[in-house]
Amino acid sequence: MEAPIIDPLQGDFPEVIEEYLEHGIMKCIAFNRRGTLLAAGCTDGSCIIWDFETRGVAKELRDKECTAAITSVCWSKYGHRILVSASDKSLILWDVLSGEKIAHTTLQHTVLQACLHPGSSTPSICLACPFSSAPMIVDLNTGSTTALPVLTADVSNGATPLSRNKTSDTSVTYSPCNACFNKHGDLVYAGTSKGEILIIDHKNVRVCAIVLVSGGAVIKNVVFSRNGQYMLTNSNDRLIRIYKNLLPPKDGLKMLDELNESFNESDDVEKLKAIGSKCLELLHEFQDSITRVQWKAPCFSGDGEWVIGGAASRGEHKIYIWDRAGHLVKILEGPKEALMDLAWHPVHPIIISVSLTGLVYIWAKDYTENWSAFAPDFKELEENEEYVEREDEFDLVPETEKVKGLDVHEDDEVDVLTVERDSIFSDSDMSQEELCFLPAVPCLDIPEQQDKCVGSCSKLPDGNHSGSPLSVEAGQNGNASNHNSSPLEPMENSTADDTDGVRLKRKRKPSEKGLELQAEKVKKPVKPLKSSGRLSKTNKPVIDPDSSNGVYGDDGSD
Amino acid sequence: MALPPHAAAATAEETDPAAAPYTPYALAKTLAGHKAAISAVKFSPDGNLLASSSADKTLRAYSTASLATLHDFHGHSQGVSDLAFSGDTRLLASASDDKTLRLWDVPTGTLLKTLHGHTNYAFCVNFNPHSNLLVSGSFDETVRVWDVKSGKCLKVLPAHSDPVTAVDFNHGGTMIVSSSYDGLCRIWDASTGHCMKTLIDDENPPVSFVKFSPNGKFILVGTLDNTLRLWNISTGKFIKTYTGHDNSKFCISASFSVTNGKYVVSGSEDKCVYLWELQTRKIVQKLEGHTDAVISVACHPTENMIASGALGDDKCVKIWTQEKD
Repeated sequence: MEAPIIDPLQGDFPEVIEEYLEHGIMKCIAFNRRGTLLAAGCTDGSCIIWDFETRGVAKELRDKECTAAITSVCWSKYGHRILVSASDKSLILWDVLSGEKIAHTTLQHTVLQACLHPGSSTPSICLACPFSSAPMIVDLNTGSTTALPVLTADVSNGATPLSRNKTSDTSVTYSPCNACFNKHGDLVYAGTSKGEILIIDHKNVRVCAIVLVSGGAVIKNVVFSRNGQYMLTNSNDRLIRIYKNLLPPKDGLKMLDELNESFNESDDVEKLKAIGSKCLELLHEFQDSITRVQWKAPCFSGDGEWVIGGAASRGEHKIYIWDRAGHLVKILEGPKEALMDLAWHPVHPIIISVSLTGLVYIWAKDYTENWSAFAPDFKELEENEEYVEREDEFDLVPETEKVKGLDVHEDDEVDVLTVERDSIFSDSDMSQEELCFLPAVPCLDIPEQQDKCVGSCSKLPDGNHSGSPLSVEAGQNGNASNHNSSPLEPMENSTADDTDGVRLKRKRKPSEKGLELQAEKVKKPVKPLKSSGRLSKTNKPVIDPDSSNGVYGDDGSD
Repeated sequence: MALPPHAAAATAEETDPAAAPYTPYALAKTLAGHKAAISAVKFSPDGNLLASSSADKTLRAYSTASLATLHDFHGHSQGVSDLAFSGDTRLLASASDDKTLRLWDVPTGTLLKTLHGHTNYAFCVNFNPHSNLLVSGSFDETVRVWDVKSGKCLKVLPAHSDPVTAVDFNHGGTMIVSSSYDGLCRIWDASTGHCMKTLIDDENPPVSFVKFSPNGKFILVGTLDNTLRLWNISTGKFIKTYTGHDNSKFCISASFSVTNGKYVVSGSEDKCVYLWELQTRKIVQKLEGHTDAVISVACHPTENMIASGALGDDKCVKIWTQEKD
C-alpha cells in the first residue's frame, strides 16, 4: 500500500452485504488480477465487465452468435483477454479493451470450467473441464484438443504417449472431473472421480505424481490460492481439504523430475504415489458435521489466509469462512436464494456471491467510524483509564510549557518523487502492461432529463429503492432487516435511467450535514474568494473588495 | 486587452551557490481572451494542452506548442472556479458557482454531462489517475465522489464544517485529500469513503489549497497566513515551510516543479509568481508581470514551462519558460 496510514485490511473478512449488482441474470464471476474489474457471465451469452471502483458496468462483451448461457469466465494474467465457456459447447476468447472476439472454438462437450494458461499475457492454450469427459488442453488458435490422462489405467501405461480422442474409445463415463493450472502454468492439478489428485505435465501429456485423498470420494473442485502456495479440494464426502504446495513456484517440473530419479519403485503407479506424497501436504479438513452440507465454489482469500465455501443447499445463501488454521470464523447468511458462485477480492476483504436469481452480492466489512481519524488529538480507549497527573500539573508556571520548542528539522532532505513499489503484487512483471481499467466514456446527458434535474436538485430523493434485496446482518437468524435508508442522496441526479441499476444500500447514513443544508436551502453570506467579479447579484451580498480578512464567518463554530 | 510583453523577471533574492546555476524563467507569452478574472489554469497530463477557467463562465483550451486558443467551453450559468483534465486528456471537468460540475469533450469542445448534487457553489474538482472517478469539493462543506461514466454521485463525504477549498487524488487513486476554511486537511480512503487522518497544527488558519506530492507521501498545504507547508502524511507533521509571498484572501494554488530541479511554485496576492527551492526553502525567483493577484499556477509535466492566471484587473494567462542557453 502506498501510505502506512491505510489499515492493512488483509486478514479481515467481510460481514454484511454492502451492495448488490444487477444486470441481466449473472451466473459466474471472476476478478481480474488486481480486483479492479469484475467479469460476470450471463444466461444470455454476454459477459459483463464491471468497474469495481464505481460499481458500474464498464463494458459488455456480446456477440450475436453467442447466446447460450455462460458456464465459466476466466481472465488472462494481465487482464487483456477473457475466456468464456458456454453451454452450447463453445469456448470464446475475447479481447477486453476492444470488445472483439479473438477465437471461437466448439468442442464435443459443454465445458463446465475453462481456465486460461496463467503464465502469459496472451495465452493461446487453456484448460477445459467438460461435463462428461476428461479435462483437456485446448489450443485456442487451432482448436485442437489434448485430453489429459486421468484414469489410473492411463497412468500405468507408462511412457506411451496418449493418442488424442482417447475419450471416445473408452466406455467408462466419468463424473465431472475438475482441474486447474498451478500458478506458473506448467502443471495441471486434476481431481478425479476416484479421489485422487493427479499432477500432470500438460505439455508432454504425462502424469508426474498421484496424491491420494483419504476417503476416495469424487473430487468436485480443485482450487489454488493466489500465491500458489496452498490448494484446496472439494469432495463429494462433504469435506474441503487444504493442502500446502511443496513444489517450488517456478521449477515444479524440475523438482518432479528429480523426485522421479530419486525413487526406485518398480511399479509406476506406486512410484507416482510416492512422488505425490512429496508434492502436497494435507493441512486441514473442513466440514459442517451438523448439517453435513455439500460445498459449492470454495476458494481462498486474496492473501490465502481465509477459505470460503458456499453451502450448496437450495433455499439458502450461506457462506462459511474458515481461517487457514482450521477454525470456522463466520457464517454469512444472505437472502433465501441458492448460491451459484463465490469469489474473494484479490486485495480487499470483500466477497462476491452470485445468487440463483442472477444478482451479485457484495459483502464487505461492517465499518464503525474511527473517530480519532477526524480529531487527531483524541485517542480511543478500550476501557476507562485512571488519570495520573503530572508532577507540575498544578504549578502556576508548569515546567513543560517553558521548554516548548518546535522540533521541526526543516533542513532535512525530502523526497517527493519516488513511488514505492506495490508489495502485494510482487510477482508482476514490470515489462508487461496490465489492463486495470477500461476508459470511462461518459454517457451523454439526455436533454429533457437535464431540465428535470435542475428543478429537483434541492429536494430529498424519494425512497424508490425499497423493493430491492436488503443488506442483512451476518447472524444466525438470517433476518432480512430492511435497511431502506432514506438519505439516498447519491441517486438524486440520475440523468439516465440505466438498466444497470446499481442500488446503493449504504448502512452508514451519509452526510447528515449535507441533508440539513439541502432541507434548509441555506443561503449563507458567502464570499467566494477566488474572484470578486462574478457574484450573482440577485441573492448574495456584494463582496467588499477592501476587506482584508477573508476568513469565512463561522470559523470554528463546531 | 493584451498587455505588452514584459521584460525578464526580477532575479533571485538569494541564489543557492551549491546547486547547479539556476536558469531563470522569463515571460514567453501572454494569453488574453477571458473577460473576467481567471480562477484556475492547468496543463493536460500529456502536456499538449493548457486550459483555463474564469469568472466569465467559460473555460478555454490552448495548445502549448502554438499557444493558440483551441476551444471555448460555454455552458455554465455562473463563474467557474476550478477545472481538471482526465488522464487521457479527452475530458475536462469544471466546477462552478451554479452548483454543478460539467464534463466537456476536449477535442470537440462540446458539453458531455452535467453533474448535479452539490447544494452550494462547487469549488474544486479533480479526476483520479484512471479517470473513472471525479472528486469535488463545495461550499456546502461536503466532498463528493462521482462516477464519470454515468454521472452518478457515488459518495458524499461529510468532510468539513466550512467550505471545502481543494480536493486531490493521490498518484495511485487510493486516497483523497481535502482542505477547508475550518483549518483542517483530511485524508480519505477513496474506495470506502472513510476518513483516514486529519492533519491539523496548533493554530488552524484557514486552508486555502492542498495537493499531493507526486509520490503521494506528502501534501503541499497553503494557508491564509501567507504560508505554504509540506506535510508528511504518515507522521502528521509538517517538514517544510515556504514564506515570503502574500496569501491571506484568496485560494491561491501551488504546484511542484520537477522538470529541472525540484521547486515549489505558487501565485501571490502581490501580483508575482514565487519559486522556492524545495529542499532549502529559499526563494529563487519572483516572476513579475501580472497586474492583479496571481490566483493559479501550473507546471508543465515535461517541459520547463509555468502557466499563471490572475484576477480581474489582469484577466490574462501568462506563460513563462526558462531561457535556453
